Amino acid sequence: MLGGKGFFCAVLALLSLGALAQSPDDIKSGKVCATCHADAPLIWGGKHGTQADSRTPIAIVGCATCHGDPSEHLKSGNPMPNRFSKMSATEKSEVCQTCHQGRERMHWPGSAHERNDVSCSSCHKLHTAHDRVRDKLTQPEVCFACHKVQRAEVNRPSRHPIREGLVSCSDCHNPHGSVGRAMVLRDSVNDTCYSCHMEKRGPFVRTHQPVQEDCANCHNPHGTTAPNLLKFRQPFLCQQCHEPTSHRGNVASLSGTSTGANTLARGCLNCHTNIHGSNNPADLSNERTFRR
Amino acid sequence: MNRLGTFKLSGIALGLAAAFGPARAVEPIVTQNIDPAAPAALNTGASTASVGVGYASDDARRFGQYNGINQDGFYGLVDLNWVKRNDETGTWTRLFGRDVGLDDRQLRFEQQRQGNWGYSIDYSRIPRFEPLIANTAVVGIGSNNLAIPTTLTRGSPIELGTKRDTLGLGFDKYFAGNWDVQVKFRNEQKDGTRIFARGTTGTGPAGSFGQFEFAPEPIDATTRQLEAKVNYNGGALLLTGGYYGTMYNNNFDSGLNFTGGLAGLSTFTPIGLPPDNQSHQLYVSGNYTFTQTTRSTFKLAWGKISQDAQFIVPPAAGLPNQLDGRIDTKLAQFGITARPMPKLSVYGDVRVEDRDDKTPVRDYFVNTTSSTSNGDNEPRSIRTTTAKAEANYSLPEGFRIIGGIGLEEKKRNFSEVRVVSAREVTDERSYRVELRRPMAETLIGSVALIHSDRDGSPFLTTTQTNGTVGSNLIAPVFLADRKRDKVRVTANWAPIAPLNVQFFVDSARDDYSGRDGSVLGPRKGEAQNYSLDAAYVFNDRWQANAWYSRNDTRFDQATCESASAAGVCPGNAADPIWSASLRNLSNNLGAGLRARPSGQIDLGAEVSYSEIRDKFDLGTIQGGAVTSLPEITTKLTRLNLYARYALQKSSGVRLDYIYDRFSSDDWTWSGTGSVPWTFADGTTLTENRPQTINFIGVSYYHRFQ
Repeated sequence: MLGGKGFFCAVLALLSLGALAQSPDDIKSGKVCATCHADAPLIWGGKHGTQADSRTPIAIVGCATCHGDPSEHLKSGNPMPNRFSKMSATEKSEVCQTCHQGRERMHWPGSAHERNDVSCSSCHKLHTAHDRVRDKLTQPEVCFACHKVQRAEVNRPSRHPIREGLVSCSDCHNPHGSVGRAMVLRDSVNDTCYSCHMEKRGPFVRTHQPVQEDCANCHNPHGTTAPNLLKFRQPFLCQQCHEPTSHRGNVASLSGTSTGANTLARGCLNCHTNIHGSNNPADLSNERTFRR
Repeated sequence: MNRLGTFKLSGIALGLAAAFGPARAVEPIVTQNIDPAAPAALNTGASTASVGVGYASDDARRFGQYNGINQDGFYGLVDLNWVKRNDETGTWTRLFGRDVGLDDRQLRFEQQRQGNWGYSIDYSRIPRFEPLIANTAVVGIGSNNLAIPTTLTRGSPIELGTKRDTLGLGFDKYFAGNWDVQVKFRNEQKDGTRIFARGTTGTGPAGSFGQFEFAPEPIDATTRQLEAKVNYNGGALLLTGGYYGTMYNNNFDSGLNFTGGLAGLSTFTPIGLPPDNQSHQLYVSGNYTFTQTTRSTFKLAWGKISQDAQFIVPPAAGLPNQLDGRIDTKLAQFGITARPMPKLSVYGDVRVEDRDDKTPVRDYFVNTTSSTSNGDNEPRSIRTTTAKAEANYSLPEGFRIIGGIGLEEKKRNFSEVRVVSAREVTDERSYRVELRRPMAETLIGSVALIHSDRDGSPFLTTTQTNGTVGSNLIAPVFLADRKRDKVRVTANWAPIAPLNVQFFVDSARDDYSGRDGSVLGPRKGEAQNYSLDAAYVFNDRWQANAWYSRNDTRFDQATCESASAAGVCPGNAADPIWSASLRNLSNNLGAGLRARPSGQIDLGAEVSYSEIRDKFDLGTIQGGAVTSLPEITTKLTRLNLYARYALQKSSGVRLDYIYDRFSSDDWTWSGTGSVPWTFADGTTLTENRPQTINFIGVSYYHRFQ
């Protein structure tokens, strides 16, 4: 763990006294480290290496800012104090949280990732020029390391354009924690969906209870074989709530006319076309049943 | 058709890898060598540009659904990521372009003085090309005035689709005293048409399936989002206060109007289109560290949603010409994590979300005929309260035991006239116990058992306009009593240094209780998910991986044909009480190889295959026989190969090959015989199957030093 200012002062004092064989600047810049850890200096090409920003590791004590006092490691080959491969998820994240707190990470404590031993470095790669989790195109690779079901679902015929890098996991989820279910980006599932599908929000003259309550009552946003990301085809989906009076209990069929072929085309939505809500007050049951 | 656009071949290649890849099983082998296919990082070592050309062998609307590579022909390949840092001032400048010029183009310019200020401007387009081709004689598609043929008419092929053009602006500034502000604005214009219909019961013209008409919905809408936040970092106390506002503006505000068509549908015009609406939210969220081992989080939010679009048809005299819709929202959340003893961690969280629909209730028409509507609008208020608690205790040998409970209560209102059974309160309690080993040399993993139980207040019966109790046979799936049991096993095994194996099992079972004395409605659900991943590092130049996933979900439900209005089931003795056993079974597998056989050459290969089966087994519980629906099988095969050859230290060429095949016997629009679904106006929707595309691309890349 970092020891605060005292630790930094100790390291600087050590370096300035020439206690080590290597030049202090070479240690701070990582040149010494790079003799064994070839990829290490790549981090300086990114934000951690911006010397003009006094908050960055390069502006403090270089590699030691995160990895701890290197003197014993350089002298005798002992492990670094912060040996990330041997640290718990909490310990690793605490190193990052020395600087990275608040803002989008406000709800990290107690988040599903934090409680499931996911650390910052489980997803972020720092010693590379390309942190894949921060690129919309490559981010799903990282998430799918754990979320295997979603890896399969995003390739279903009805899907979001995740494969093309146009929508990424973090467009809907905040992996650093949120107050919504499943770490959705906004405060609820519906609020998150409305950021792109605002036309479904209403309020309407005629509202559909499960729509207002949770989009995920009917949809699986990660991908389905039923059209429009629906969990089930019609009429099965509708029959999970609706009473079997009138035509609503009709046997699912691909033949017949009127309400007979209720599984073809848009199914129930062939008539009940405004299923998310209707704002037309002009008629009787046609609006209540979302037909106008 | 040949077309020359700009296309980011590498985007597709990486996209496939992202979707099917092993997820970190195969890392880029030599990280110093920046992959020009993925130039998105803000890193001075990530400046690259690439230019090339690609060729698509065939039309493939599924492959090109979101990128526009849906027709055969040539495509240009242009990408850019130019990053520069002024080391003296810490100022970053970046120009980024991906798929520039093609339908899914993305552009971004940003500049920031690190730790001081920054701004960005970006533009992107998300297209969606409808995979189905409409063969229609409907006139006016794309507008909100449709002319429908009055007879079954042979039409011409029409391509449907939408595009979202988004402009984003961002700004942030840090101030002395650990304050900073962030402002984001996003304007999205969505245009196009999507599949829509109007219909009613009754027989249509010969050759059609009834009184259903093809009525593509025109889309011309603007969505805006603005978020402004002030952040404070006070060490122990972190705070964010902000405003989040959204606005939806539909430029088709007079509804969807029809001329022509069937006489039986003459009252179905105009059809309402989504109304303009807005939302505003103020919030404050925070994080407070009591001690080094005790931290809390909280959020408070107040919001308002409103909808006051003019009605497309004026309501009865004396009523306002708009809904005056208003929903007030409130949110309060408090969570705490603590480690009271070195071996014990605890966590608790309480959250209350209140959606108070304050839309005035008005009687929009006097009901004299309908039994299912009293003419009033239907405000929906929902209050959700959740509470969670968890304890995590360390055991010997690196094991931990975790126990947790969760509670969720939902309260909602319903209108007086109901056609679906309602429940004002549902309560769900969940219990979890888990044994986890998060750190070990060779084997880590977890075993978790989860049980949840949902019940609630007595069901409110369906009620007709005159107060008569209707049919009450179904407990809606999102309200029904439900017992859920779940087992989850994860394991990560590294028996030898170069080999890593991941194993994942998730098995869940839901049991639903129906209404008293009724076997109808949701009955049982199951989900079985298995996944096995393996990665092998031969040496620092060769890596390979393979994976397999099987996902099997089932759902059993029942209903009855032609129940009477009072819920006598079946209404006619010959009509069946019938069940449906729905199953979605997918087998997915993939393999990948990344190699760097020499200092100049990088090679990569990804292959994947998915087979998805949807089954619809119907059975008779009582009465007449029923027939199961045909199974639907969907298959997707993808192969992606690339080779990169470095001509110099900072430049080289890249060769890509993609094979993509989509096949399906989905009968949704094609039917199962020789007669496809046919609207009363003669419209049919078709899709070429199978779809196979070969894509070859050659590009030159340059990495800026």
